Amino acid sequence: MKAILKIALGIIAAIGGFLDIGDLVFTTQAGALFRYDLLWAVVLGVIGIAVYAEMSGRVAAVSGRPVFDVIRMRMGFGMGLLALVASTIVNVLTLAAELGGIAIVLELLFDAPYAMFVVAAAIALVGIVALLPFGGIERFFGYGGLLLFVVVATVFHQNPDWGEVGRGFIPSIDSSTLYLYFVVGVFAAALMPYEVHFYSSGAIEEGWTEENLKENRLNAIIGYGIGGILAVGLVIVSGFLFHPLGVEPDNLGTVALPMQGAFGETGLLLALGGMLFCVGGAAIDSSFAASYNLAQFLGWEWGRYQGPRKAPRFTASWLVFLLLGIAIAQSGINPVDITEYSVVLAVVALPLTYLPVLLIAGDRSFMDRYANGPIATTLGWLYFAVIVVLALAAIPLLLATNAGGG
Amino acid sequence: MYVVHRLLDEQICDAEGKRVGRVDDIELQGNPPRVTALLVGEGLYPRRLPRSLARLARRISGPETWGKNALRIPWEEVDELTSTVKLRKKAEDLGLGQGDDPGRWIVGRLPWN
Repeated sequence: MKAILKIALGIIAAIGGFLDIGDLVFTTQAGALFRYDLLWAVVLGVIGIAVYAEMSGRVAAVSGRPVFDVIRMRMGFGMGLLALVASTIVNVLTLAAELGGIAIVLELLFDAPYAMFVVAAAIALVGIVALLPFGGIERFFGYGGLLLFVVVATVFHQNPDWGEVGRGFIPSIDSSTLYLYFVVGVFAAALMPYEVHFYSSGAIEEGWTEENLKENRLNAIIGYGIGGILAVGLVIVSGFLFHPLGVEPDNLGTVALPMQGAFGETGLLLALGGMLFCVGGAAIDSSFAASYNLAQFLGWEWGRYQGPRKAPRFTASWLVFLLLGIAIAQSGINPVDITEYSVVLAVVALPLTYLPVLLIAGDRSFMDRYANGPIATTLGWLYFAVIVVLALAAIPLLLATNAGGG
Repeated sequence: MYVVHRLLDEQICDAEGKRVGRVDDIELQGNPPRVTALLVGEGLYPRRLPRSLARLARRISGPETWGKNALRIPWEEVDELTSTVKLRKKAEDLGLGQGDDPGRWIVGRLPWN
């Protein structure tokens, strides 16, 4: 019974931990521009992250190796360094976007200037990380993110044309570059590389072994699956409300408006609260990911479980990344724009993270009987092919569509 | 050659399980070649990079200085190979892990839980 409860709590944390500012922005914009047409891309992305998170968690639990340990070992120093630099740039940009996102939500909730809230958000994050143990940090943000279930309630309240919604799950390719740009964006927002950097390192933080493999699989499939339902819900509520009006959301606050439309102030507050926890959690995940990667690549001691005394370089680098994130968020660039750039650049960095994970998870000399079975192998390579195609398409699409600006 | 592939870039842990660096290079001697030592330290990074980047890396890490930014761990000090390379001695006795010496970092004094 206790074991079931523990697994349930982990799944709940994964649900709230899935959505970040990239998902919020891209799903809402996708709904506004193309109504329900991009729902299939959301589902495609969610299955992808579940497949790779499961793999990276399994590798960490069985072999004790987090992602950048695997990258350095498999790709060597030179290529590994390239992966490290690319991942760090994306992770710090993501962190900046999330910090900006927290500040925007706080600005909407309380009436005070944005710049002040960026710093306040960072200080609050340091406080939370200092006070709570690793598991507590994950649960704090994961459970809070569940407030976003108000999105699902809003879908049923709106009661859209379900046939039209259903047709959105059938993949369709529209030849407009803007549509293709959003396919890449929605997909990549689900597969942001910091998620597996953080997830696999978290498995080590929590001391996972072979005995946690069932927990790992359930976290990945059910946790990300239900998180995906929230993402699908965001597309639907935005498509229902904004598409007929021709509104193009370029402010994070717009994400919460459909919930206000359905349930008044309560809906708005629940949505903004849920967004705050999701984006806050993602700020933690992306900043930790940057430090995990650096420490693992260079062989430093690392981990929240070690504390600053045993892992001083890891802790110091985390604070430096946080400062960099603040500096970028304060630069005056709209966090929604930073988000779009970080998500699209992430696609380019994705193959460098996911290929080594795929290779080692399928390697029997490391994984023994826990190596990828036929399902994980097939899905893993299929997704890798999709990732490579999108990585090649991402930058031309970003430029051709002026970052979705049309 | 298999041994080299297996060892290079692996995580090194000391006798107490502390992470103290990675196998940045390997010393081979004799014929047929045998591994005689693991080489560790940021001074070795330039060796691992293409020439154009190596120059930049050398400017950051400084020239290879044995005992400082490049350490030689004799093969006899290796205890076992698991998912890490485990050493027989504590890091301090081999000159390793100085980068994570809490005395050198102010953050080591943070009153975290």
